[in-house]
Amino acid sequence: MNEEQLLQLQAWVDGELPEGEARRLQRQIETDPEARALVEELKMTKAFLAGNEPEYTVPDSREFYWSQVKREIDRQAAASAQPADSRPAWTLGWRRLLAPVAGLALIAFLTVLSLNIVERPKLDESLQHLVEVENLDEHVGSFSYRSQAENMFVVWLYNKDLEPAADEESDMEDDAVLQ
Amino acid sequence: MSQQRFSSFGGRLFLAWLVLMSSFLPVSAADLKLEAKLIWATDDEKSPDPNHTPVDAATAEKLRKVFKWKNYFIVNKIVKVVPSRGSNSFPLSKDCTVEIRELEGPRVEVTLIGKGKQVHKTTKSLTKGEWFTYAGDDKNQSAWFVIVAELDEK
Repeated sequence: MNEEQLLQLQAWVDGELPEGEARRLQRQIETDPEARALVEELKMTKAFLAGNEPEYTVPDSREFYWSQVKREIDRQAAASAQPADSRPAWTLGWRRLLAPVAGLALIAFLTVLSLNIVERPKLDESLQHLVEVENLDEHVGSFSYRSQAENMFVVWLYNKDLEPAADEESDMEDDAVLQ
Repeated sequence: MSQQRFSSFGGRLFLAWLVLMSSFLPVSAADLKLEAKLIWATDDEKSPDPNHTPVDAATAEKLRKVFKWKNYFIVNKIVKVVPSRGSNSFPLSKDCTVEIRELEGPRVEVTLIGKGKQVHKTTKSLTKGEWFTYAGDDKNQSAWFVIVAELDEK
């Protein structure tokens, strides 16, 4: 007996088959001992379950019971929809006031910062007179001179081959007029 | 609703600030507007080169206080902007060019190039009003000067 035949027998026991099919199965059960034994067993199981299934009764009326369920569902849905904000109302008022103030302060700060960048930074006084000189031609010598009075820095170049006695890269400060 | 109104107002304010700040950007922080002059000095009253023009009285007076020559003539004058952390070349004559680089500090690196060959390099700060001068003797007891000075930004 295959699975389909077993299901048909179970349907026959439950009275779910159409009339023609039920008659055909009735004849099979009468002639087939295996089918008959299975049907007897299914009937016995059905009778056992039907007779011993526990029944639970609700103390309230049907309408009252389901209205309680509905109220609980609504309560939990409302609780999950609202964020838990335990802060007092006055803090929200302060937030509304401080948010634009903080924004304006940030913009003002960035503006001042930008203006500082636009202006060239002042060089440290100690570095202002630091000068690096480099002779790139072996035939050329140089000496440098600063005139504080005229705010002028001079690098005087000369031909080493013509003026061998000159001191290379010497420095002077506000000395006599250059010759 | 009020928060939406504020964020819209804040956004416009921020945009206005960006526009204001962007107007400062084209003149970048450390761009240098420099003038380089090639000057020829002599004791003669006139320059043999008719293209040479005498320097203005204030410049001549200042130069006379430092150097011995009586008369000074402008051979060429170039005004250029040296970009921040960049360099620019000032070709003052066929044989004389100065290349100026803006460095951190702010400092400038001035390279004198003679006949296509680097001759000398000086690195120093250049304050407003200060003249940086390369100089040397020339024929017939004359002299040449390359003066670099920062001009006021526009």
